[in-house]
Amino acid sequence: MASQGPPPASGGGTAAAGSPQALNQIVIEYLSKKGYSKTEAMLRVESAHTDHEGRPILSSLDDQPELKYEKSYSHLKHWIDNSLDLYKPELRRLLYPVFVHSFLELVKSGYVVPSQTFYKEHAHEHESTHGHDLKNLKALSLPQHIEDDQLAKLYRENKYRVILSKTTFTLLMHFLEETKDAGGSVILRFINQRIDIKTISGRPTMFSTAGDDEGMLGEEEGIQGHTSGHLNRGGVLPSIKLGHLPMDKELMSDVEEELREEDARMKDSTRNEELGVSTGGTLIEEFQKIKREESEDSPMRDTIPLPPYTGVDVEREVRLVKESRDKVRLAGVPAPALPSVCMYTFHNTHDGLNCVDFSEDSTLAAGGFAESYVRIFSLKGAALPSIIPAENLPSIPKTRRLIGHSGPVYGVSFSPDNKYLLSCSEDKSARLWSLDTFTGLVVYKGHDNPIWDIKFGPFGHYFATASHDHTARLWSCDHIYPLRIFAGHLNDVDTVEFHPNSAYVFTGSSDKTIRMWDIQTGNSVRLFTGHTAPVTALAVSPDGKWLASAGEDSVINMWDLASGKRLKTMRGHGKTSIYSLSFSVEGNVLVSGGADMTVRTWDVAYGTGAPTADAPEGTGGVSVGDGTTKVDGVTNGAGKIRKGGKDVVATPDHLSVFYTKKAPVYKVQFTRKNMVLAASGFLP
Amino acid sequence: MALWNADTVKDVSESVGIPSLSDEVAKNLAMDVEYRLHQVLQEALKFMRHSKRTTLATTDISNALRVLDVEPLYGYESTRPLKFGEASLGQAQPIYYVEDDEVDFEKLINAPLPKVPREVTFTAHWLAIEGVQPATPMNPTPSESARQSETTPKGAPPPASTTVPTTADVSVRPLVKHILSKELQLYFDRVCSAVTDESNDALRAAALASLRNDPGLHQLLPYFVQWISEKVTHGLKHLFILSVMLQVTHALLENSNLFIEPYVAALIPPILTCLIGKRLGSGGGGDAAAYELRDLAASLLKAVCKRFGDSSHTLKPRLTRTCLKHFLDPARPYGTHYGAIMGLAAVGGREAVRVLVLPNVRLFVEGVVKGDGGSEAERVVGAVVSVLRLLEEEEVAGVKPEGEMEESMREKLVERVGETVAEEVWRVGRPGLVKAIVEPVGGL
Repeated sequence: MASQGPPPASGGGTAAAGSPQALNQIVIEYLSKKGYSKTEAMLRVESAHTDHEGRPILSSLDDQPELKYEKSYSHLKHWIDNSLDLYKPELRRLLYPVFVHSFLELVKSGYVVPSQTFYKEHAHEHESTHGHDLKNLKALSLPQHIEDDQLAKLYRENKYRVILSKTTFTLLMHFLEETKDAGGSVILRFINQRIDIKTISGRPTMFSTAGDDEGMLGEEEGIQGHTSGHLNRGGVLPSIKLGHLPMDKELMSDVEEELREEDARMKDSTRNEELGVSTGGTLIEEFQKIKREESEDSPMRDTIPLPPYTGVDVEREVRLVKESRDKVRLAGVPAPALPSVCMYTFHNTHDGLNCVDFSEDSTLAAGGFAESYVRIFSLKGAALPSIIPAENLPSIPKTRRLIGHSGPVYGVSFSPDNKYLLSCSEDKSARLWSLDTFTGLVVYKGHDNPIWDIKFGPFGHYFATASHDHTARLWSCDHIYPLRIFAGHLNDVDTVEFHPNSAYVFTGSSDKTIRMWDIQTGNSVRLFTGHTAPVTALAVSPDGKWLASAGEDSVINMWDLASGKRLKTMRGHGKTSIYSLSFSVEGNVLVSGGADMTVRTWDVAYGTGAPTADAPEGTGGVSVGDGTTKVDGVTNGAGKIRKGGKDVVATPDHLSVFYTKKAPVYKVQFTRKNMVLAASGFLP
Repeated sequence: MALWNADTVKDVSESVGIPSLSDEVAKNLAMDVEYRLHQVLQEALKFMRHSKRTTLATTDISNALRVLDVEPLYGYESTRPLKFGEASLGQAQPIYYVEDDEVDFEKLINAPLPKVPREVTFTAHWLAIEGVQPATPMNPTPSESARQSETTPKGAPPPASTTVPTTADVSVRPLVKHILSKELQLYFDRVCSAVTDESNDALRAAALASLRNDPGLHQLLPYFVQWISEKVTHGLKHLFILSVMLQVTHALLENSNLFIEPYVAALIPPILTCLIGKRLGSGGGGDAAAYELRDLAASLLKAVCKRFGDSSHTLKPRLTRTCLKHFLDPARPYGTHYGAIMGLAAVGGREAVRVLVLPNVRLFVEGVVKGDGGSEAERVVGAVVSVLRLLEEEEVAGVKPEGEMEESMREKLVERVGETVAEEVWRVGRPGLVKAIVEPVGGL
């Protein structure tokens, strides 16, 4: 393909017949004779830019538009590479937006070949961090594509944020001003128009945090998206209440009463039964420990209207208390104990199983299939009777198929009381199913594109959906229209998760960000940037303070919700997607499962600066297993193993890995007893 | 970059009847087509991702086209994966095409219906117990895991030695350490106490059933084996303990989830002790329970031989030798002789009886029993006769009528096995048996 652009500028129109040099001489002589001194001076200045043949000397880069971006980019890069190590990490972050905009400018001006050579020349420099976007940019070749393409629009319509320390910024500006002609002006133009450089006071650091790793984005870096008015990054973050939703007073007293009865019964029965496992305290004591009481950090109960409680709710609360008492404690020094993992492997799926969910009481599993149906499995092998008598077949089936969707089912979610199931599908609808009758109850239509994920709220009644149409929506079961539409993501919303107090919703998106939304106002209250690929899984710690997120970039990030800051990055999964995350009941162990056919466990507290689950008290700590005591502070020292080298090395907070036999892990879930249920599909 | 070049566009345009397309148009079209392709792929990848697959399917493309408001391509909705053929035309780039077989309608219509696809089912297993991956068939072996871990990051300790990954204590730790989770330890203790609890039958049965069926016990196996041998060595006086230990052994052997072969060698001594031990139980020699115990041991031994005799070819000869030694040693008590005889029969079967027992019966009975009429002697004689009866079976074909049981036979019988045994054998009244004893095959 030949160059598309106009031929190199040949603009000097002064060339006339004869030697232009001689002609100039004649004219100057003429001007001085006539006394036009100013005109003469002007001509002298202007003719200085032409060579002896009268053609202009191409000193200004603006005269070679197809080359100027390449030149100025290389110019900047060269300068950065030669700058002090101290500044390099910060400055390097600037290269990517410059690269993208140079490329887009080239495409926009119709320089096909130069744009492609430019891409080829430099794309690999950003592969590790921005591989996902680069792949999409690569396709652009015609100016109209720029108008058309979402990603290109995204970059051109939004400013890319880069954070530089003041010193570095001054240095950069100085350099760019100095070398205006060699390309500085081009870069300056980008910085003015497309890049938002945020200067922070203080000296540049070597980014002792995860920051200077290749392949990692700094926090807050990147396109911030439609900066809606409320999301003032520079100022104060909107306040959020992360406490538990207080329990209904009457419900609480009912539950207490129930527990007291239960305790009395237990006392009677244990006297007779010798086999009984020794019980750890009474239920009522346990309840006092875990009950959700109002605190100053908890959202108001009346802001989230819930239907009045019923006997089922009391039963559930009682069960929760019992399970909480009977749970396996995953405490330990220096690292938490490891959980048991029960793996449910699904066979004969032919890779058609899209999603799995376990019911809270671990009796049922639901799978969403590519063949547009949902299947309910009884995990204990018990029959699944329907309360419709006529519908029951001679033998009660052990699995049930729920038919209704007209496209692949991408998400299923059990209600907390195990009476309902939600599913969402490519057919743009979400459906509510009854687990008493195994029939469909409601179809929720509203999204105008496939729905990727659906989740019930922690108290039922409300649920949230995430869709291809770039929005997430909040619904309640009794309304067929959405109550809130969470708009703000710049690309597909891939996953959705509730905060344990039901007052907030988290969404993970293909725009590589995570947002936290206030259910009350429908506003985005936090934005978490740092992933380098679409976010595929989210989990909120049971105490509601931390968020774990994982994505196609196969890293897990841990965020502090209150400050909106990243606490740490956990690496260890292969270069494949992570499908599911789950916190243990105490919140000290995170378990993850993904396409690399493993289940992995992670130490949550490690390296976050938070005290470890059971910090050794004075006496040096009780030894675990081998009788080694751990000296305080070692934890932070062993921080970074990774230095150079391409392959990912697990971070030290990686506790263990369990391989499956050729079965990608679709779902991991901690039960209330701290056992992990995992689901995988066997792919022979 | 140009995956889709202008020439291809021209080829396509010619194929749809536009013979002369200007270069400029072709070039622009090619670039646009490439962009659109990228766009479709980008959407299709989203569908693939949300289907949690790692291979792109034709359905993803159709879904992507639908989302982009383009009419989907029909005819590619295929459950079988698309096959691409490759053809090279001259020096040009190879051309790829979808291999689409011609289907004969007649054949298709008359073909039997395809098999109904199998129902989606699930199986449950322990991927990890307290952080340790049990070595069950459902979990990959360490070598498989290692292979997998080549593609996934290292740094994670292999599951068997999963412990706290700290830097300080790595060097201190012994290389191989058998780590038993608290849960398993608790299980072990409870099972041990339940099994040895003489008063609670139900609990014992439950414990044994658990040993028989539970899949995750492999970790505990060495502990159980050691426990059994300890209990047997120290519990010779307690018939209850001994018999329970045999039951535990039995349960472990029956558990199909355990890979018990390496422990067989360690399991044999306790069984042998129960079989040919000098004094079993606290009661006198005539304790019937002790003989029952020996019977149990013998049958257990037989089961072991049957299962592992082929894989370990020294097993049977060793056991036979031990039993024979005790059988032929007249100084041993009756109990030992009884056990040895039963053991020989159990290990070697008929062949051993014919070759090893039969020739020695007469000497044995004369040397050991010596006409002693005690109950123990009777038992031993009974044992001899019962193992001799094994010989008969092969003679079933040649059963002779009753009349043939002549006195001459009886004399031969006496001569062969001695008075006492002959008496017993005769009383059984099986001519086939008598014949087998008197005229052993193989000319002994």
